[in-house]
Amino acid sequence: MLRILVFTYAAVWTTVRAPHLLDTIDLASRRFAGIGPLWWLSEPVSALVIVAAVALTPIACGAAALGWQYRWSSLLGLVGFLFLTTYRNSWGQIFHTENLVALHICVLALFPAACAYWSLEKAGTPTDPAVGEELAGSIVKALAVLTVGTYFLAGVAKLRISGLGWIDGDVLRHQIAFDNARKELLGDPTAPFGALMLRNSWTLAPAAVAAIVVELAAPLALAGRRAAWLWCGLAVVFHFVILAVMAIVFPYHLIGIALAPLLPVERLGTTVAAWHCRFRKRSKRLRPTG
Amino acid sequence: MRRWAIRLLPVFAAVLVLSPLLRDPTSDTYPLSTYPMFATDRGQVHSIATAVERTDDGYGRLSPKLIAGTDEAVLASVTVKQAVRLGEADILCEEIVARLGADRRVEVRTETLDVVALSVEGSADSTVTVHATCGGGS
Repeated sequence: MLRILVFTYAAVWTTVRAPHLLDTIDLASRRFAGIGPLWWLSEPVSALVIVAAVALTPIACGAAALGWQYRWSSLLGLVGFLFLTTYRNSWGQIFHTENLVALHICVLALFPAACAYWSLEKAGTPTDPAVGEELAGSIVKALAVLTVGTYFLAGVAKLRISGLGWIDGDVLRHQIAFDNARKELLGDPTAPFGALMLRNSWTLAPAAVAAIVVELAAPLALAGRRAAWLWCGLAVVFHFVILAVMAIVFPYHLIGIALAPLLPVERLGTTVAAWHCRFRKRSKRLRPTG
Repeated sequence: MRRWAIRLLPVFAAVLVLSPLLRDPTSDTYPLSTYPMFATDRGQVHSIATAVERTDDGYGRLSPKLIAGTDEAVLASVTVKQAVRLGEADILCEEIVARLGADRRVEVRTETLDVVALSVEGSADSTVTVHATCGGGS
């Protein structure tokens, strides 16, 4: 189920953001500086490579979501997604909205045992349930660790850079104001509730404390199902507040896919698979034999 | 894939995602980020590099697409900032005119202002430093 959610998200993201990704073809080459996996690249790649990556990545991710030729489609999806997002980040501004998607895809593509339960090719194929459950469980745990790890790092970064002063609300006030002012000066829509929060300055310190607590407490979500539900609820609220006061969208987090590894979404997949098996058995029983 | 490797996968994932802790927190990269984006105190008064269209009765704001060929305001902002820093404001100005139309006048500039006042009151006094002007036959 997680594989379906993550790869579907990647397919939709690369399709929706295709115009923006294709915009990089026309950007001035002097602004390019490869980062991360593209650190070795000193000049932009040819337009053909970008067009091919933009065209093929959603197809590969869609195929991986369906489990079709999973070993290859997932690897192609990983390479395409990582390339496109890294390339997009190599023009002087690193965005932080797709990091977790990329990390989740890495695990799902590099450990194809994840497709043991539900894929077009393996539907109906008997698998040792104990082995399958252990493999799938380990991958789900790895995805969950990646999710909470990114939040924890964001909290630690605030304390490492600004110290405990971050929680007095002033840093948050300046961040919200700066972000909205920059949008205003660059002809972009500002956040609907940014000014309201800044006018009610008493809300800033509690909001800063809440943000740090949500981020640093993320690993506690691994402690158990109840803790996971509680933390996921807080994380969703956290992202809606960021959207309302800064107009910054973390879509992977907002729609809950980033948090899904912490929740029992695999049960949904198992239930659907069980229905599928039952339906197939019934179809075979009802099929005329003579 | 050996079963012991699969069992250790969550540990590998933890080591991987937390590895940026070994770097300077402001040394960011992708996808293993230190997530420094909202961590720094930017201060109340800030200089923001931007580009505007000069008109007979003042100026008009330009979209990120016209300024930097992207729909991302943050990327447009960084593009102008870099151009100013590297002394390439003239080149950027010409690029904007090429997108906007040769008869239009463009100004690449830095506005220093109280960002809190601008966000709360909708306007703020600003000090403008012009780095380049182009277009409109200039």
